[in-house]
Amino acid sequence: MKPSWLVIAGVAALAWLARGLALPVFLAMAFAYLLSPVVAWADARAIRRSVAVGALFAAIIAVLLAAGVLLGPRMLTEASGLVDRLPRLASQIDTGLDGAVRELFEAAPVFRRVLPEGGGWARQFVLNRAPGDPSDLFEHAGHLFLLAILVPFFAFFLLRDMPRIVTAAMDRLPPQHVETSVAVWRELNSVIGRYIRGVVLDGLVVGALAAVGLWALHVPYPLLLGAFAGVANVVPFIGPLLSAAAAGLVVLLTPGQGLAGVVRVAVLFLAIKVLDDTVIQPFTIGRSVHLHPALLLGSVVVGNHALGVLGMIVAVPVATVLQETVRLLLEHRRVLAQRRWKQG
Amino acid sequence: MLKRGLPRWLEWTMDREQARRAPFLAHSPLFAGLPRRLLGRLATRFLEKAYSAGEVVFHEGDPGRALFVVVEGTVEITQATPGGEHLVRTLGAGDAFGELALLDESRRSRSARVAAPARLLILYKTDFDALIDGEARIAVVVMRNLSRLLAAYARSNPVVVSEPGPGPGAAEPT
Repeated sequence: MKPSWLVIAGVAALAWLARGLALPVFLAMAFAYLLSPVVAWADARAIRRSVAVGALFAAIIAVLLAAGVLLGPRMLTEASGLVDRLPRLASQIDTGLDGAVRELFEAAPVFRRVLPEGGGWARQFVLNRAPGDPSDLFEHAGHLFLLAILVPFFAFFLLRDMPRIVTAAMDRLPPQHVETSVAVWRELNSVIGRYIRGVVLDGLVVGALAAVGLWALHVPYPLLLGAFAGVANVVPFIGPLLSAAAAGLVVLLTPGQGLAGVVRVAVLFLAIKVLDDTVIQPFTIGRSVHLHPALLLGSVVVGNHALGVLGMIVAVPVATVLQETVRLLLEHRRVLAQRRWKQG
Repeated sequence: MLKRGLPRWLEWTMDREQARRAPFLAHSPLFAGLPRRLLGRLATRFLEKAYSAGEVVFHEGDPGRALFVVVEGTVEITQATPGGEHLVRTLGAGDAFGELALLDESRRSRSARVAAPARLLILYKTDFDALIDGEARIAVVVMRNLSRLLAAYARSNPVVVSEPGPGPGAAEPT
């Protein structure tokens, strides 16, 4: 066995042992991409990276504390109110669904073979997702706490040390690969950076629009539903549908809103979607992603199968990276073949 | 760059490498005329790599994807002829080559080989394009300088010659 294969096998074994760190490292990379323009601004003014990154993290902590003080109590009240109402809401949904299924059975008895009667689906859904015992709750809280510590920790060192890592990697690269291979990485770096920053900015704008719109329509929990709309917007196609459905469901179960309220919410989310596609996204994400719509949807489905919600979120950048890598490597191969043909 | 405006007790906040890079780039004819603020932004986009003597930076015919600036060492620009490799010019600290890659990704018209151990700054077209998207003034100044270099080359080489070699007054951009 060649020593290089031993190194590769060793690295693979280490990667397998440290697989639990994949999610925090991935999130830290995304966070670092998000913050990199600020660090580049400091770089341009010849400010030492450790000073710039330290000051940036201090500013972020200050902003989070301020946001926590200003918005936290309101969001906590909305969240706890919703959690308290969940079992009652689930019963209301089940009653409505049971009535609809009974009507369906009367109209078309053939559906009796396909659908169970009185499934209590919503209650089952809520109960299945509630933590079974306190140890589960502590485990979830522990994971979140670990992520909250590890993600900024890794992001700090990625931002601070990236130029040194890049220079060390460049010095070890064979010179004949520097121009083409590094060009691939620079292009991917640019695409991923623009995509991540664009998606986050897009999510913030869409979330804010949804929150303001829902508040104007007197829909309960506007902040919570707006925040959900912003986060769900990261998932192409499915995200906006999910956030609209969640808001529609809340309206449906709110006394006095009725079907007219659902229509108003549907129009609001449709308007936000059109505005997002035509005005907001061209400014935020721009042309960083060149995937065919079929490939875009296919990557989201595959991502969901592989990693669930996280898979749907990372599907588009991963598919873009794969597409660009294959395109540039094929071009690199063609150039090498031409050079060999000329020399031979 | 920052040193002039900083009190002594704040000098530890300065990145000396970055502070050195921007004035260095200002001496290159390609970036002449850029204000210090934009030179600072441009400097952050360069990567740096060490080369040993004899290593090839790029071959004639390769797609051009980056501009190179010699920080230290010597680089030879050569062209293949039926009689063998022909030395076109020798570059030292502060000289730039591969400028045409910033215009398009056309093939290299010459080869570049390191003659003496060198450190090169590398600016990829992708990074340059991303920078000029937000700072059109950089594009205007760099393209004007590049046009001057091309005009000087065209004036000194008014007819197409069959034998490779630089004109009397100007070096051909690679």
